[in-house]
Amino acid sequence: MYSRVADRFRLITSPAVFFVFILFCGMLAVYFSNAYPAIRREGVHLFLDNTWRAAEEPEEEYYGIAAAIWGSIYTSSIAILISMPLAISYSIFVVDCAPKRVKNVLIITSDVMAGLPTIIYGIWGVFVLVPFMKRYVMTPLYEHLHFIPLFSTPPISGFSYLSAGVLLAIMVTPFSSAIIREAYQMVPFRYREGAYALGLTRYEATKVLLGYIKPAIYSGLVLAFGRAIGETVAVSLVIGNSFNLTPSIFSPGYTISSLIANQFGNSFIYGHMRPVLYAAGLVLFLIGFLVNLAGMFILRRWKKNVEI
Amino acid sequence: MNNYAIETRKLTIFYGENRVINRVSLKIPKNVVFALMGPSGCGKSTMLRAFNRILELNKDAKIMGKVFLMGQNIYAPNIDPSDIRRKVGMVFQYPNPFPHLTIYENVAMGIKLNGLLKSKEEVERRVKWALKRAWLWDEVKDRLQDYPSNLSGGQNQRLIIARALALKPKVLLMDEPTANIDPVGTRKIEDLIYSLKEEYTVVIVTHSPTQAARVSDCVGFLYLGKLVESGRTKEIFERPQHELTEKFVTGELV
Amino acid sequence: MWKFSLRMAKDRVFIVAVSAFTILTVYPLLHIIYSVARNGLPVIMERGPTFFTGGMSEAGIGPAIAGTFLLVLLSSLIGLPIAFLVGVYAYEYPDSLIGRTTQALLQIMLEFPTVLVGVFVMDIIVLPMGTFSALAGAFALAIIMMPYVAVYTKEAMRQIPFTYREASFGLGVGRVKAIFRILVPLAKRGITTGILISMAKVAGETAPLLFTAGGLYESYPTSVTEPVGAIPLLIYTLIQSPSKDAHSMAWGASLVLLIFFLGVFIPIRRSLKVVRL
Repeated sequence: MYSRVADRFRLITSPAVFFVFILFCGMLAVYFSNAYPAIRREGVHLFLDNTWRAAEEPEEEYYGIAAAIWGSIYTSSIAILISMPLAISYSIFVVDCAPKRVKNVLIITSDVMAGLPTIIYGIWGVFVLVPFMKRYVMTPLYEHLHFIPLFSTPPISGFSYLSAGVLLAIMVTPFSSAIIREAYQMVPFRYREGAYALGLTRYEATKVLLGYIKPAIYSGLVLAFGRAIGETVAVSLVIGNSFNLTPSIFSPGYTISSLIANQFGNSFIYGHMRPVLYAAGLVLFLIGFLVNLAGMFILRRWKKNVEI
Repeated sequence: MNNYAIETRKLTIFYGENRVINRVSLKIPKNVVFALMGPSGCGKSTMLRAFNRILELNKDAKIMGKVFLMGQNIYAPNIDPSDIRRKVGMVFQYPNPFPHLTIYENVAMGIKLNGLLKSKEEVERRVKWALKRAWLWDEVKDRLQDYPSNLSGGQNQRLIIARALALKPKVLLMDEPTANIDPVGTRKIEDLIYSLKEEYTVVIVTHSPTQAARVSDCVGFLYLGKLVESGRTKEIFERPQHELTEKFVTGELV
Repeated sequence: MWKFSLRMAKDRVFIVAVSAFTILTVYPLLHIIYSVARNGLPVIMERGPTFFTGGMSEAGIGPAIAGTFLLVLLSSLIGLPIAFLVGVYAYEYPDSLIGRTTQALLQIMLEFPTVLVGVFVMDIIVLPMGTFSALAGAFALAIIMMPYVAVYTKEAMRQIPFTYREASFGLGVGRVKAIFRILVPLAKRGITTGILISMAKVAGETAPLLFTAGGLYESYPTSVTEPVGAIPLLIYTLIQSPSKDAHSMAWGASLVLLIFFLGVFIPIRRSLKVVRL
């Protein structure tokens, strides 16, 4: 019943599509093949140990990237913890409170923040945020609460997990708030009417409506986590780039991306360092991929169930 | 076989799980205005789109049975749908001139892309001819580089007719062409349709029995996907054989 | 009569908190713009036009500006045609196996950490060539640009009302002509804005250039097979230098980048309905 005439359209567009496929597979192949020597040499310890011994003698070299993995996850977690109230409040404000013109301005502002070159966040982070954090947040907290393990590192320079987490939160909030805002906006009007008709206060009604879009909130935060973990330049400028593995948020540390950025220059001198960095890249890709997959899955399944 | 412009045999159309057209066997003679009439939403527009294979743009549509255009089975496996579509012009319920093209370009686009004429002068001549045939030339001859957004609904619909005529099709399919046009524009288009049957076969879908009575020579009454009756307009309207047909032509069924 | 209750108090606190958090969310942008302006403007004022035209020895960022332009141009040449075709394919065949896989792949590439793209390109272009180059940097940027342009293209095409599809196919011109000669031009505004936003985005990227472009700040770039500088890359290098002069220059360069970005992004964003982040 349908024509079997050759489809010229496919002929024209297929090469481009195949190119993308090949590119993607090529990237995976490069990472796997370059990482393999390190994984074979050190096995699982590559990911579990926190050491970084670059040495002249190749046999002496030993690397464990646990600190970087920890740092990536820790700073991204701090980021979404801070980001959560911000993104939700922002969405509520834009959808419920803001008059139309302000609404548009706020949305554009959020998009600008999402697209702003990360190096600008970086320079502001280094010269403005970090001194501020050190002087007004970290030092007082340390002086009064240093017995709590969380605050137990003296803030010498200000470069720390906390500074990185805060900067990431600022950078990542526009992404999660876009998703949350879109979902919140699409809650059918009759639910809002219903909530207020019951005499609920704005606080209570909003809580109910937010409960309605909970999966979207989770999805937004998870996606934000994925963004945060992939961020390189801004983070590497404010995290201090040290091989620490501690929950103390004033301590400097490493993230996978900043490790790669920082150490790749060195890696050509030392025989075994490069594969290690590729392995780190692989871990980063994997975490980011799984996290984004989870986020999209939650969002899609919820959309299907609720038919918003 | 070659006596009919369009002939269907047990045509059945599914939209997903819904059977929209149910084993319709219809014969549309040449050089007539044939009205496909019936209450709103009973599959007329869908069936119309099967006649030029535009229905395939909807991925959910499944077509079974046979459709013949001028004796040719248009759903035969080695047929290119584009060939069919060139021979059949279509006019839509909401006039849809391409908004980013000028009035001239709207009519010329089909000619140029199909490579029907070689030289610029030939194309110009054809465009002018099509606009004249669609009774629009006098109203737009001074503003061919203008955009369709400045035309009225009725003018736009005649522009669509010109766009279709420019390809010199054998058959013209019209899907409720005056449903969104004001009464004056409607009248003009109906007169135009009546004048077209000298050279073309026109199949017009309408939910208005009075329009069918005004405009058509032959008529087919579709109800819930089945062909209830078909024949010469005069006979169907004066002596309907089926109870449903009678209800429809008297305006009881909407 | 003013009735006090815990319920009302919670409500009050809630409204105050939401407003405060909202301000807190946008405040950093304002502060960033303020800081960059405050620290960068004096530098530019002081050095005048040489800041934009001179090389490093004249304390200018001219080569970096040229480098950014070169990289954006080159990456667009490489990436746009492919991305456009992929986007149109995803529009026309969204449900086929290849179509769905393509869209999934685009989603993955959208969220790919940019530093990893840079390292990949280093492996396949820089190492065989033996040198950093504009080509490598452009290739890395092209990879990053591609999913954005593809998705913007697909979305722009999807906005076209179905009736125009029927009309264009109805003319019997065939799929290729109907899509590329009628429908794509119909969507050209949406596609162009998508392209411009993507170009603005890659102009601000740093990480992919770290191991591909190399940096060139003394003199203007002359060849695509040689190292090239870029404004974000320069800023990154300058920040890590201990000298105060370097930091001042970094602020100046940041101001240039900021003005460029805002000047391109805001007008385009205002004319676009949907933005993909």
